[in-house]
Amino acid sequence: MEMISAVKMRRAVANVLATRSYANLAWQMLTDVAKKTNINLHPLLAKRPIKKAAVALIISNRGLAGGFNSRMLVETDALIKKLKSQGAEVEVLINGKRGKKIYQQFGHTIAAEFEKMDMTMKVEEVLPLSNMIVSDYTAEKYDEIYLGYTDFVSAIKQIPTIKKLLPLSTAADAALGAVGEAPAKETVSASAEFLFEPDPANVLNVLLPRLVEVQIYQAVLESDASEHSARMMAMRNASDAAEDMIKELNYNFNKARQSAITQEISEIVGGAAAL
Amino acid sequence: MALKFQIITPERVVFSDEIDQVTMNTQDGEITVLPHHIPLVSVLKPGELICKKNSEEYPLAVTGGFVEVRPDSSVIILADTAEKAEEIDIARAEEARERALKTMREERKLDSAEYAALQATLDRALIRLKVGNKYRKLKPEIK
Repeated sequence: MEMISAVKMRRAVANVLATRSYANLAWQMLTDVAKKTNINLHPLLAKRPIKKAAVALIISNRGLAGGFNSRMLVETDALIKKLKSQGAEVEVLINGKRGKKIYQQFGHTIAAEFEKMDMTMKVEEVLPLSNMIVSDYTAEKYDEIYLGYTDFVSAIKQIPTIKKLLPLSTAADAALGAVGEAPAKETVSASAEFLFEPDPANVLNVLLPRLVEVQIYQAVLESDASEHSARMMAMRNASDAAEDMIKELNYNFNKARQSAITQEISEIVGGAAAL
Repeated sequence: MALKFQIITPERVVFSDEIDQVTMNTQDGEITVLPHHIPLVSVLKPGELICKKNSEEYPLAVTGGFVEVRPDSSVIILADTAEKAEEIDIARAEEARERALKTMREERKLDSAEYAALQATLDRALIRLKVGNKYRKLKPEIK
């Protein structure tokens, strides 16, 4: 199990790294567009007072991954409680079977549940979730949407993270998974002539949903990588613990066997002496 | 001066090199970008994308995305999917086209959203076929 998880982890990590450059460039493009036009009018960037919020929870399909799922659930629960204390209604969108616990253990409402592959490879696999998020936000069903995923830092460190997905903020620090990477550099001065085809609004209409999609995709990949490395560690601990237990049991067995033999011999010797 | 060209999908960096010119299909029609092009942001349509370097052509099949031309003569293409012509699996593309056509004929109760999605699938399959076949026809001559 440890070996299997190690292989899966390596693949998941490669996926995460491959997608980071796309996300960074997409953000850069948005920042460039933002300088040329007032992008705050777009529905996906509009800030509204929070009456109802949603949390998209990305979690694993299976257990046996140490504290991976429970840590994510606790983190999500804390966020939901905080939002509720501010008077907002909160619903959870689950991506991954283990997410049901948010209802079973913590009693929060689940609005939708999405199937997740054990290993997400293509962007298309997150489309159902991202389409729902974009359309629900545009239809003003939710006023804020959060994304809960486990950020992959290293094979032994994964951090459950909650990030505000919508309304999109154009701040540079919003770039997901940009751990240790330089912030988007300025490529366009405000005065430079810039051509939009067909026009800025149209470009935004296509670009923004795409950004949401890519962020979700990246979050899923990060979670995948985290899940497999968490499972790898859990399995390694389990193997180590089993080895220790075998050693101890063997020792106990030998001790019991030795004492049984000793006793038998002393009984025979005692019996012989009595004759 | 060459164009710094990069084509990236969410899954990987497909192609990254210095090239002389690039031709692609945007929503407003086909454009060719040469060095010192005016800064531009545009939306791509499914179509063929041709990079030219030292009179050699590199065709790619692209199914939608964005293009950004920066003032420093770098061209960045964020594609939904992109494949080099030699990577295209013609048999699979043909299959996808057949499937889409069949669903269109048989299922009469498709609503407009489903129909649009299907049409997009068909367009993607067609463009991959076109680029793939063209490349295959060219190849024997090169040899």
